[in-house]
Amino acid sequence: MRLNRREFVVAAGAAIAAGSGAGSADADNSPILIGQIPALTGSSSDPGIGFDRGVQFATTEINDAGGVNGRKVEIITRDTQGDPSKAVNAVQELINRQKVHAIWGPANSGESLAVTPIMAKAKMPNLHPCVIDALIDPVKYPNAYRVATANVQWDGAAVRYVTEVLKLKSVAIVADTTGYGTTAAAASEASFKNVGIDVVHKALIDSAQPDITADMLRIKSSGAQVLVLWSVSTGLMSRIINGRGELNWDVPIAGHPSLGSGQIAALLKKPEYWEKVYQVSFKNACYDASGKLPARSQAFLDKISGKIRLDDTNFWWVAAGYDAVHLIADAVRSTGSTDSDKIIGYLNSVAHYPGIYGTYHFSATEHNGFPNDEVVMSKANSFRNGTFALAPGYT
Amino acid sequence: MLQAILVSGVAMGAIFALIGVTYNVMFAASRVMSFTAGQLGMLGGVLGSLFILRVGVPVLPGMLLALGGCALIGLATEIIAVRPVLKALDQHLYVLSTLAFALMLRQFTAIEWSTEPQPFPTLIGLGGGFIDEKFWLPVAACAVTIIGLEFLYRRTLVGRAFVAISEDNFAARALGLPERNLRMLSFALAGAIGGLAGFAGGELMLAFFENGSVLNFYGFVPVALGGLGSNRGAIIGGLLLGVFQQAANFLVGGLFVSVATFVVFILFLLLRPQGLFGTGTARRV
Repeated sequence: MRLNRREFVVAAGAAIAAGSGAGSADADNSPILIGQIPALTGSSSDPGIGFDRGVQFATTEINDAGGVNGRKVEIITRDTQGDPSKAVNAVQELINRQKVHAIWGPANSGESLAVTPIMAKAKMPNLHPCVIDALIDPVKYPNAYRVATANVQWDGAAVRYVTEVLKLKSVAIVADTTGYGTTAAAASEASFKNVGIDVVHKALIDSAQPDITADMLRIKSSGAQVLVLWSVSTGLMSRIINGRGELNWDVPIAGHPSLGSGQIAALLKKPEYWEKVYQVSFKNACYDASGKLPARSQAFLDKISGKIRLDDTNFWWVAAGYDAVHLIADAVRSTGSTDSDKIIGYLNSVAHYPGIYGTYHFSATEHNGFPNDEVVMSKANSFRNGTFALAPGYT
Repeated sequence: MLQAILVSGVAMGAIFALIGVTYNVMFAASRVMSFTAGQLGMLGGVLGSLFILRVGVPVLPGMLLALGGCALIGLATEIIAVRPVLKALDQHLYVLSTLAFALMLRQFTAIEWSTEPQPFPTLIGLGGGFIDEKFWLPVAACAVTIIGLEFLYRRTLVGRAFVAISEDNFAARALGLPERNLRMLSFALAGAIGGLAGFAGGELMLAFFENGSVLNFYGFVPVALGGLGSNRGAIIGGLLLGVFQQAANFLVGGLFVSVATFVVFILFLLLRPQGLFGTGTARRV
């Protein structure tokens, strides 16, 4: 059969239309690709492992329920080992080769500082749990959202606890000599001074310093009523707690969430030295004096019981990873699209989103989603299934 | 506070001094500065904690096992990182080979042991406050090591053979001394001394993989301060460094302690490049 020119144009047009129709049907069923860049190995991998458990659980849950508008969620994980250069490579690969629709992570601030501008340039929707304040800026990084607390919120919780609950007037601030420690100590000093609290001593101690007796004597002689501690070094934190105990110095210690780490328990000379140590925590990850968690947290705990280990991780890490996947899935479900602009548009409209970790609220001008009033202090020595007891003074 | 600075300074100084002696013992037998010295100190603490706390071996056998393990690592250093580069000493290839082996030891410990500090057992349970055993055990270990080395080098045939190969390798071989075996024995001895530094200082430094880098760095200073090859110099240099470092920690804070330490160190070397007890070598021109 021979086609004349008109018949050829019609037939070709029909073929292209049929082809594009088939293509669009494929796209509707294509998976929602979420890139994940936690540190799963290496010295800072504990949070990443916890986040990953929540991410995998949420993904299975969504897919078992039929997916999002018929589309499965697929997680593409790249282990950064806590190394910013590996995080940069992972992000480049996820954006350019894997063509993911959103990225969760990285899990620590140093890596996030390296990759946030790259994701902003690619307009890649990015949810992360990193605390450094500068990582969230809706003008510079309109694609980045914090599904956790900012450093300033940790300061706020410590300041509120010291002033409103403990009603103390003078503090000593101690931090390690890392970039995080020096920044956190300066921010904490400013926060306390802002509310009229006397910062009687500020010490930056090298986390490799094996004996801190002289430093502790100096801090004690400053007359501080409370010791505020910002460090991620379990060695330094345990030396400070041991030092306080050996000097029979009965002041509370308040500060970094790592104060409740199981690693610290192993390094304490006496278990009772861990009394009166309070760490930054989150309302949904804390149980009250009667041992009860908030209803939403308890329901989640029941749901994951036997499926996710919580005895070696933090509840909030698992919950934040779970919430991040659900936020992205809800964005696609609500807008019917995996377009970057649509996902960002949805996230900018999220108000009072009832996550497991917290109740998130974002807008076009506010990408810090975690509410201040859900940042609390807990007893460091009260670990139970990834959760902690609220510090005295909270209800 | 002065007492606290002195007590912890002398204790840390004794640990640095023992690492300095480890450098010296390896250097004497091979003319190689082996950068595994600090890692041997780290392994003394890690193996002590492993055998005593995790495996449940009593303290004395646990110590012997830890020191034996470190002696084996010392031996491995000689075979893997030193022997292959002895023919090219003047090219300083040993810097690369021993540093690479040290990094391997560090990474292996981080992966297999932990990246967080782990507890070290209370060894005897004697003393408290400023006479706690964590302060005097490193000093006692340092004293025992020096007395033992003096006895070995002055009173035993093997010790005199060590001295012979360190003073003139070629003459010693011409006399029929088994140079390679003596060098291996020397590295095993250095491994045990390094291990003793970490074991005796375990209650202070904990069982932590990062201790290796710290000890490598600060353990080298007494060697340079005291004069290369001088154990007496390493001991005095180590104790001075420990006290100065703790005082600097207290006076200028942890942020600047390394700067203060190395400013003083560099100034000292500018004034006396051969160290406290080293002798300047004459060079024919």
